[in-house]
Amino acid sequence: MHFLAPSLLLGLAAAVAPWFIHRIGKRRARPRAFAAMELLLRAEREVSARRRLRELLLLALRTLVAAALPLIFARPFTEVRSDLPATAGRTQSAVVVLDDSASLRRLEHAGGDPVFTKARGRARSLVEHLAPDSDVALVLASEGTAAPVAEPASDHARVLAALDGVTCSARRADFAAALRRASQILTAGAHGERVVYVVTDLQATGWDGVTSEGDTGGPAIVLLDVGSPWENRAVVGLEAEPAPEQGAEGVAVVAEVANFSDAPATKLGLTLRLDGADVARGFVDVPAHGRAKKRFLHTLAGGGGAHDAEVEIDHDLFTLDDRRRARVEVSRGLRVLIVDGDPRTVRTEDEAFFLEAALRAGGGGFSITSALPDEVAPASLTDYGAVFLANVARPSPELAQALVRYVENGGGVFISVGDRVDADAWNSRLAAILPQPLGLKRTASASGDPTAPPAEGETVDTRPAERLAPLDRRHPLLASFPAKSDGLASARFSEFMLLAPVPDAPGRSVVLRFESGAPALVASEVGRGRVLLLTTTVDREWTDLPIRPGFLPLVQESARYLAGAPGSESVASLTVGQRREIGLGGDDRRVEVVGPNGQSTWLTPEPRPSEGRSPEAHARRAVAFDRTDEPGLYRVRASRADGTVEERPEERFVVDLDPGESDPAPLPADRRPDHARAAAGGDAAPKSRLELWHALGAVVLVAVLLESLLTLRLRRGRVKA
Amino acid sequence: MSDATSTVSESRAGVLLDPHDLARLATMSLRARVIVEGAFAGMHHNPHTGTSIEFAEHKEYAPGDDLRHMDWKAVARVERYYIKRFEDETEMRTFLLVDASASMGYRGSNEKSVSKLAYASYLAAALGYLLAQQGDPAGLLAFDERTRQYLPPRTRGGHLHELLVALDGLYAAGRTQPGRALAHVGELADRRSVIVLFTDLLDAPDAGGDELANRLRQLRARGHDVTLFHLLDPDEVELPLDDLEDLTEFEGVEPDDGRRLLVDPRDLAASFARESLALRERWRKRCLEARVEYRFATTSTPPSEVLRAFLFNRERERGRRS
Repeated sequence: MHFLAPSLLLGLAAAVAPWFIHRIGKRRARPRAFAAMELLLRAEREVSARRRLRELLLLALRTLVAAALPLIFARPFTEVRSDLPATAGRTQSAVVVLDDSASLRRLEHAGGDPVFTKARGRARSLVEHLAPDSDVALVLASEGTAAPVAEPASDHARVLAALDGVTCSARRADFAAALRRASQILTAGAHGERVVYVVTDLQATGWDGVTSEGDTGGPAIVLLDVGSPWENRAVVGLEAEPAPEQGAEGVAVVAEVANFSDAPATKLGLTLRLDGADVARGFVDVPAHGRAKKRFLHTLAGGGGAHDAEVEIDHDLFTLDDRRRARVEVSRGLRVLIVDGDPRTVRTEDEAFFLEAALRAGGGGFSITSALPDEVAPASLTDYGAVFLANVARPSPELAQALVRYVENGGGVFISVGDRVDADAWNSRLAAILPQPLGLKRTASASGDPTAPPAEGETVDTRPAERLAPLDRRHPLLASFPAKSDGLASARFSEFMLLAPVPDAPGRSVVLRFESGAPALVASEVGRGRVLLLTTTVDREWTDLPIRPGFLPLVQESARYLAGAPGSESVASLTVGQRREIGLGGDDRRVEVVGPNGQSTWLTPEPRPSEGRSPEAHARRAVAFDRTDEPGLYRVRASRADGTVEERPEERFVVDLDPGESDPAPLPADRRPDHARAAAGGDAAPKSRLELWHALGAVVLVAVLLESLLTLRLRRGRVKA
Repeated sequence: MSDATSTVSESRAGVLLDPHDLARLATMSLRARVIVEGAFAGMHHNPHTGTSIEFAEHKEYAPGDDLRHMDWKAVARVERYYIKRFEDETEMRTFLLVDASASMGYRGSNEKSVSKLAYASYLAAALGYLLAQQGDPAGLLAFDERTRQYLPPRTRGGHLHELLVALDGLYAAGRTQPGRALAHVGELADRRSVIVLFTDLLDAPDAGGDELANRLRQLRARGHDVTLFHLLDPDEVELPLDDLEDLTEFEGVEPDDGRRLLVDPRDLAASFARESLALRERWRKRCLEARVEYRFATTSTPPSEVLRAFLFNRERERGRRS
């Protein structure tokens, strides 16, 4: 302890004043002869213990007050070593990089505060202790986060306010980007000394790509460690897949649990939730620093479609990674009607043979019904998710009207042409739903190099033939095809039907073109439904497309597209911070995304171009959602043109934590950006002066209060007596 | 003298003089007379016309007593054997025992107060005067640790004067041994007597207290009529806080008493009052057990009132026996 005015400590002699006054009072006491001394002494014995204790207490309190006053005037203080770096007190341009990655959401101890609270407090302390004329900026370390104070500011209060407003994200850390950003900000710094302070728990995750400060010649980097060794258990993976052994609606959910501790985790409890309800509970043993998988089997009672699965383990200090979610896709049993316009007795020559085979293949989950045009009951169309019309000559007026109503009410129709098609009848009866009027049949002329060797698996066909132009994968139908897919590119088209030119129209797009530029597959949105028009056959009469590898996925994706079902390649699970593209229906005007914490975000798609027939203009309408900041389930609703709002369960998606944030492994010393300076001993931490007179003043106040209470109590006791 | 005359007149008219006023009277004889007249004024008796303190009583039967004197009515009433003692048979000798130890000299802070010894002298003088009026012999034994002065009970002329002069000349000194004084009286009283003890009981510690209680019991068993006047100054009932400093050093009054106590009297007031009450209750209980009449008085009480209560009680007891 030190004193600013030690000479005033002479006043400590006043501490004996109460005792001295007491002695003087004794000497001045008047003697009194009293006969009943025996009674008096008995009375004294009865009260002496209590009285002496009270007197001693009073004497102690008064002595304390008398001694404390000169101590206060002497201004005592002590020096404590600061937990801030030595550079903090110098004038400088500084950037505080605050680690707000998910791992800082863990609690310091059971019932304690998150580590982030400590980190933010440390950052506050740093900013408060920077030299007043220093300028400072604030950058967050989580991936893809904007800097709260993006330019050096001498207004420290503003930086402190920004710090108070920062909350810990669930994203992973990206120190390389944060340090780049900090260096960039410091180029505008007003002072020669430039320092980046990184307040972090020094978790190894997130430091990839960071080089030592000496290697880059950039600003000095000072690490302020707020972490402490911790252990963690986490669900790091979750997969859901159909489980045929459990029936058509059976699913298998496989959770992968990691144990990031030195002790094995035995009988670690796991809970499986489906659509929010607990459906199973299990246990798993996970070795130290190892992983284990737990497989749950369950039969969904709610029928086909997408379901939300979640697995949660018993909680530890870091609860954010104790659960993980996934979307479970169960076969919808999509019903498809194939109207065979050219039936044959030889099955392989039948118009619908390849079409039906493609839909049945690969467990696509389609329920297929085949019928001749005359057998189709117009009223039964609504039972199907999609209707394929294969080389139908001329639909009856009743069937045509039923098809128009079917499409306008949300149905999907696939039309393929052939020799039997009466273009005029189609154009007159189904003009309302045809993407383009049918034209003349065209036979391909010889093109390209006829001597060129056929591609592998290609059937040698000497007829002149067209091929498809390179695919434009922006249409959702083609999203699953590789950019240089031979599956479609190798197909040869000897004959096809031309389409009559029409003005560009919203909702209509050419999905596939021939090399000559003629449309091969045209899509249009009519009412709430969709129509696909293939300008060739689906048997081998005009083309060998049905025997090409691309035919099967093209047919299945077309069926799903027409029925409005999610694509087989739909990505329904994201990591925090990843972008999600949400498809819109033809009548959708806006999309609402509701996050796990109930926060709602409305997204409006870009307006359609008024003209132009480019594939981009008619590509699938979608909006991008990038506010995937919290792990959990995100619900999607669409606002339609007629004002109604519909839930879009097929567009739901889940967001999970980056597994890297679960790993408590600390950053090795040789990977620290400041390791060279740290190895040299670093800067000694400064000392700060801690004034003690405030505390002493509080003690005096308490002592005076106690003395008053004791005296008052004494007087009251006497009055009662 | 004129003051004293007027006071006597008032006393006859029924006004009780307080001890301070009595002290202003010139002689002990006058004080005794005033006290007696004051006491009888309240009882509507004339002390000069035959009313007397008669000490007739029953005695519980003991082997050797004459069965002719058995009170069979009492036997039938209380189922215990009592022997009648006839008033005309009893030549009642009275021993007045006055504690003249140093503690009895204590006089309270009130300027109107008198010492306990003076107060005891007034009461003893009044009783002596009354007995002389009745022709009963009264003696005096003043004591501290030993018998300091003894006047045997007599009825001859001039004896009352000697007794009153002796009382007037008493001074407080020395420690006290009331048990020893009672033992001395026990030797002197060869037949049934009335023994009246005036003391403050302050210097009779527990052991001494037990001795005193035993002596009282013995005297009572021998047929003596014993009364204990327990006299205290008001200061010894409750501490006079108004007259005491915040810090007071109390010291004993007995010779060679080294006891001192430096204390704030307010700290002790309640406890002291409890101790004083406990002392009185203890002696009341002891006397009850020994069948000794216990009478407590503070020196601020008019002696006539104390005497009147004493006489009234005796008259009532006599009425009950008869």
